Amino acid sequence: MLTLVIVLPLLLGTAACAWAGARLGRRATAALAAAVAALALGALLTQAAPIWAGGAVAEAAQWVPSLGLNWQLRADALSLFFATLILAIGLLVITYASYYLGPTDPPGKFYATLMLFMAAMLGIVLADNLLLLVVFWELTSLASFLLVGYWSEQSPARRGARQALIVTGVGGVVLAAGALLLGEIGGTHQISALVAHGKAIQNHPLFPWALVMVLFGALTKSAQFPFHFWLPDAMAAPTPVSAYLHSATMVKAGLFLLLRLHPLFAGSALFETVALPVGLATLTLGAVVAIFKHDLKGLLAYSTISHLGLIMTMIGLGTVEGVVVAVLHIFNHALFKAALFMSAGIVDHETGSRDLRHVNGMMRYLPWSGLFAIIAAAAMAGIPFFNGFLSKELFFTATLTAPHPLVPILATVAAAASVAYSFRFIHDTFFNGEPGPLPNPHPHEPAWGMRAPVALLAFLCLLFGVMPWLAEPLITRVAAAAAGAPVPELHLALWHHPGLHVAMSAVALAGGGIAYALLMTNRFLHRLDIDRLFGRRAGRWLFAALVARMVRTAAWITRRTETGSLTMIVALVWVSALALVHFTVPWPQTASTPAAPQPTFSTLLVAFPLWLLVAFSAGALLFWHAHRTVAVLLTGVIGLVSAVAFALLSAPDLAMTQIAVEVVSTVMLFLALSFLPKRTPAIPFQRRLVHAAIAVAAGVTVGVLAWWLLVTPRESISWYFLAEALPGGGGRNVVNVILVDFRGYDTFGEITVLGVAALGAWALFFGTSRAQHCTRQTSQWLEPHPHLLRVATTVMLPAALLLSVYLFLRGHNQPGGGFIAGLVTAAALLLVSLAHGFAAANQWVRAQDGWRFARTVGAGIAIAAATGAAAWAFGRPFLTSAHGHPQLPLLGELPLASAALFDLGVYVTVVGATLLLLTPLAAARRNDRETKENGR
Amino acid sequence: MVSQAWEWLIAGCVLAGTFFTFVGAIGLNRFRDAFQRLHAPTKASTLGIGMLLIASMIAAWQEGRPGFAELLITLFVFLTAPVSASLLAQAAIRRRCKGGPPPPPAPPPIKRDGSTP
Repeated sequence: MLTLVIVLPLLLGTAACAWAGARLGRRATAALAAAVAALALGALLTQAAPIWAGGAVAEAAQWVPSLGLNWQLRADALSLFFATLILAIGLLVITYASYYLGPTDPPGKFYATLMLFMAAMLGIVLADNLLLLVVFWELTSLASFLLVGYWSEQSPARRGARQALIVTGVGGVVLAAGALLLGEIGGTHQISALVAHGKAIQNHPLFPWALVMVLFGALTKSAQFPFHFWLPDAMAAPTPVSAYLHSATMVKAGLFLLLRLHPLFAGSALFETVALPVGLATLTLGAVVAIFKHDLKGLLAYSTISHLGLIMTMIGLGTVEGVVVAVLHIFNHALFKAALFMSAGIVDHETGSRDLRHVNGMMRYLPWSGLFAIIAAAAMAGIPFFNGFLSKELFFTATLTAPHPLVPILATVAAAASVAYSFRFIHDTFFNGEPGPLPNPHPHEPAWGMRAPVALLAFLCLLFGVMPWLAEPLITRVAAAAAGAPVPELHLALWHHPGLHVAMSAVALAGGGIAYALLMTNRFLHRLDIDRLFGRRAGRWLFAALVARMVRTAAWITRRTETGSLTMIVALVWVSALALVHFTVPWPQTASTPAAPQPTFSTLLVAFPLWLLVAFSAGALLFWHAHRTVAVLLTGVIGLVSAVAFALLSAPDLAMTQIAVEVVSTVMLFLALSFLPKRTPAIPFQRRLVHAAIAVAAGVTVGVLAWWLLVTPRESISWYFLAEALPGGGGRNVVNVILVDFRGYDTFGEITVLGVAALGAWALFFGTSRAQHCTRQTSQWLEPHPHLLRVATTVMLPAALLLSVYLFLRGHNQPGGGFIAGLVTAAALLLVSLAHGFAAANQWVRAQDGWRFARTVGAGIAIAAATGAAAWAFGRPFLTSAHGHPQLPLLGELPLASAALFDLGVYVTVVGATLLLLTPLAAARRNDRETKENGR
Repeated sequence: MVSQAWEWLIAGCVLAGTFFTFVGAIGLNRFRDAFQRLHAPTKASTLGIGMLLIASMIAAWQEGRPGFAELLITLFVFLTAPVSASLLAQAAIRRRCKGGPPPPPAPPPIKRDGSTP
């Protein structure tokens, strides 16, 4: 049932809203969203009875057990309280938003994201697994990003969304680290189990680290000083979003986490020394800054920051009394702040402005909304008979028990400031003279659908203000669940016994009123600009500077490493590879050389000339490497020699592959070289020394590595493949069986990489045109595509294709296979396009400038993947192959293996990738010719 | 079992083949001009490879295999050698025709009053 509570909005809600948004319009989408939220609320409340009795409901399923990440859900009074809050206020916000959103705002986007957010929040409060909680935590950050940036065409919305995402995202990552560490310490990621062993975990030496990291996540999420700055900037969001995320739910997630883990943290000196000062600083700073904000929502944002600070202070006390006050204030704050945000939204909606200096005297135009706003603001100011008063009284009482006298003093100052900004909110909006110049000069009351949620919340503020004992059983149960201990008997009443807290309350009320009256004399407050006062020292600017600095550093590193020079990149790759080899290869410590097998004379007779050929080619390369054409030819010689060596060493598959690769790559290199000057430009001597050093190091390392591998006796695994190829893979060609069966997964990865690389090269090179170094004079007897060659290729193409089919078919049992066959096909097609011209070939195979080959690559990978996935249908793991030798009439015994289909995928991918790589080079040549023709 | 006489024949063919190939290599090195050089690899090497193939065919026939593969090789060599020779010749002609960047257009004559047309 708990799973249903989350899954309903997560899957059904988002999908239904996204679908309905484009088709059914705003009201219908809102109705759908509300229905889903109501269903979830109903599902939740079916579980309420046992929880109310003091128990808990739990559900568990495995998700990723190897990581400790499991779908464990648990609802106790604390979770139930938060989940109900999320769903109930969510319902009000959904209703409100259906009137708030304009005709041009896409409703599907809004409600689908809202549903996603709701599900994520429910996940946080219902999760009983720290890692699951972190997953949902990040999901709220993402959903909040989308919701804050809902009006994505506005720059402030994008900036606010980005800033909120970065701050809470960084917090989320740190929290994840903390969660992992806590799981490591406690041996489990189950929250209820961790909380039960609070004292033992606190004594662990790593506990302070875990605590600081979890606290960091909570502080960023709950907009605590010094991370508070994202919340005011997130006010660029639509007002329903602010009412939901930034007052009632998301910013409370950090507080919820600390309450959830309260037994873990309570009594830890470190926790109190961090949470209490941070809470106090946030409380005071937020309250004072809020007075000076001219933006209606900015004022509310800073007031929210202040109230979050108040709750943080209470949690930071580390006592059960603190938890009680925190829970009570979370409840009260959610009621009045959501109402206030919605009121601000009404004013904004009706006047088109949120500037407190212009929006005055609205009481005449919005009498009902004004009344509700006044009730909610009175609750925010902590005036008797409104619900905020109660939590403020208890807050004062609790601060008096705090270890430092500064705590109650700052609390009183902040309370006075909160009275002042509450007065300002009401006075500036609804009274204080006539409205200034407004975008919409004729405000009137909005539809009741927009006022009703505010009215309901305001009524609740009044109800719990006048009859506070109604909240008693709820708060007691929730606080007990959070603290993990029985709470002292709670007496919520309007008039407590007289004491210092009453005096503090009186001082705050009087002080706040007087301060506001003084500041408002001659509208002095309207001329103050708090943003200019802080200037670039404000959090937002410091954050922007930090981000800019990081971007600059990253750009600097990129500039220094990615200079656009291929030489530099190749050097970096080689140096890194060498370093990797030197540090990871277990080089033999002693210099003993094992007895190498003595070569026979006949081997030497073959091997020595080959070796000489390689040595001469390499030496010649050293001299002529600046001649690019010569260098390509010499490299080709070395490649062919290795092909011969493979053939001599009884590796016909490798030899064939090598020859085909050599042919294709030499042609490609020549095509590519036609873009470049014929000679490498001269390089300064010092740099050549560096190049030489890298080259020598690479050569020596590879040589030594090869020698060492050859002479060291080692356990070989080849006997396994030799023995198993026929019975296990159904093929006599062990190399091919290894490629398509035993190590099929590797091959699958390789062809994917090949395809991706070819696509990348195609994307990079496409549209390149060749620099013209010289004009070509054509004679009448020189045709661009020699007739003789065209005729020859016409004869050769069928033969080559036949050969590739032959190689492919026999591949499983004799030398051959998809890879070689693919290369042969590609080489044949390459020859045809050389002979007939790329333009003609492009048209002939309908290459569509490579698009067709891109699809071919995709098809090849898809064939391989489908063959692999077919094994699932038989209940086997991915890429399990089957083989058989059915006797067919006429054809006789037919060796069949499903691996052949996989090999077909390899074949298709290789053909596609090779031709795809060639296309841009060919197209460039064609452009070249076209430009020349146009120029003529 | 390959008989003595056949072995001599095979050896002779192989030797002749290597001789022609070697001559081709020398020619490639010695001739001065691209068109002269064309003779060496195409004519001499074709003959050289032909002799080697004949040797291979005799050996195969003596061992009781049909020398089918060698026939195919011969076919392909005879098909490709002239084509590549023709391509090389064309490339050489093209190279000869291509004489670096064209000279810059001659500047217009300056009139007596110093103005240009």
